[in-house]
Formats: sequence, structure tokens, C-alpha cells
Amino acid sequence: MEFEFSKNRIVFERELSYLDRLVIQFTRILDQTGVEYVIISGYIAILFGRSRNTEDVDLFMGEMPFGKFRRLWEKLEQEGFECINASGPQNAYEDYLKDQLAIRFAVKGTFEPNFEVKFPKTKYNRYSLNHKIEVILNKQKLMTSELELQIAFKLHLGSGKDFEDARHLYRIFGEKLNKELLQEHITELNVEKEAEKILWKKYQK
Amino acid sequence: MEKVPKMTARDLKELKEEKERIFEERLRFIDLYTDWLKKTPNRIWSKQHAEFLGK
Repeated sequence: MEFEFSKNRIVFERELSYLDRLVIQFTRILDQTGVEYVIISGYIAILFGRSRNTEDVDLFMGEMPFGKFRRLWEKLEQEGFECINASGPQNAYEDYLKDQLAIRFAVKGTFEPNFEVKFPKTKYNRYSLNHKIEVILNKQKLMTSELELQIAFKLHLGSGKDFEDARHLYRIFGEKLNKELLQEHITELNVEKEAEKILWKKYQK
Repeated sequence: MEKVPKMTARDLKELKEEKERIFEERLRFIDLYTDWLKKTPNRIWSKQHAEFLGK
């Protein structure tokens, strides 16, 4: 795997999947409407080669007034997306986003994959949005969560799939990660035991 | 028809150990795969990845 890595930026070129193209298309619309966002969770591992698929791509977007959200909704519809769990922009904004619930957008007429979008709720959600890294994939910009946080948070989530994602990212970026920052997240999220088993331990054949 | 096996504490312990072995096997696979990814040019691994995920 070849990539250029600096503190807040990863640049690489590779063949794109349908999911990658969809993510690029969706996030371009967010950029065009001036919506701050960060991609979190499973897609980040997939972006960097993890061999699994996903039904949804999770994103936080910065809180915004209703007028701006309505413009985003209209632009997404113009570009071929539809919301699959809210009836209209007002319902989505008032009954979902303002209630800290996620809305889901998919290509019209489909259900998967979909984009699960919500406003940040917890301290860690807000941290993700405020500590983004820029991934330049085939000259297209994607904003993703800090890798150290992503790895520690996967340990916190705790399913088998999450643990595998955490080990994948840790082994791909190993030496390039900020070890102190990773340890800090592990301590704050109280996942030291999980880190021992999933990240540090060597499994012999 | 064969009856559902009656599980003893020892059987359950054996199943728990099997679950652990399967999980460790998954982690060993992640290691094998990431070792391959790290030494493989993007055009090669990403072609396979895109085919697996769907182009």
C-alpha cells in the first residue's frame, strides 16, 4: 500500500469501488452546500483496504440552521439521493436531527448502501468533528476522523467486526500513528484490556 | 430425528474455547492480510478490493 502521510493528511491513488464513488459523490454535495462533516467508523477501515463490505457509511455533520439543511436536502435530491427514514426536510430536521437521531440517504430506489448522518451528541462526537483528517483519494477530498480516535473508539464499540477494524487500521498505519494520542484515547475510553488483546498482542500460528 | 445435544458445563467451556480460537484465527487473518496489503502496490490490491466490493 502506497500513500503519503502527514499529520492531518493522507494522499493516495487506487482503483475505486462503487462504494468509494458514492462516498465521493455524497461528500462533494456536502462540500458544495458548505456543510462541515466527518466520516467515522467502518468505511474508514474499508477506505484503507479492509476486506469487508458495509450497509452504511456513518457521518457527523456540523449543526446548522433549518434553511441550510433544506438546501442540502434539495441538492441531495437533485443529485439522485433520497432520505429513506424521514418524510421531508422539516420532519428530518425537527424529529430526527434535533433529537440526536440519524437520517439515512440512499440512491433513489435503493436501500443499501446508505449514508447515516447525524449531528454530534457526545463529547467524543464533537471531538471527531473538530479533529478531522483530510484524505485525498484520487484527487478527491474526504474528511475522516482522526485515526488514533477511530482505533480506540472501535475498541469501545466492541463487536468482533469493530475489533477487526481496529487491528486492521493499527497494523496498516502502525509506525505512523501518534502513540501517545492513541494511548490517551484508550485511557479515556477505558479500553486498556481490549487494546492489550486486540492491538498489542501477537498471535502466533 | 436426532435430539438436540444436552450441554454440560464442560461442553459449554469447550464451545467458549472454540469461540476464542475462531476469534484469534480472524485476528491472525487480519495480520496476514495487512502484511500483504502493506507490500502490495495500490493498483493490485485495490483492483481485487473493488472487485470484491463491487465496481
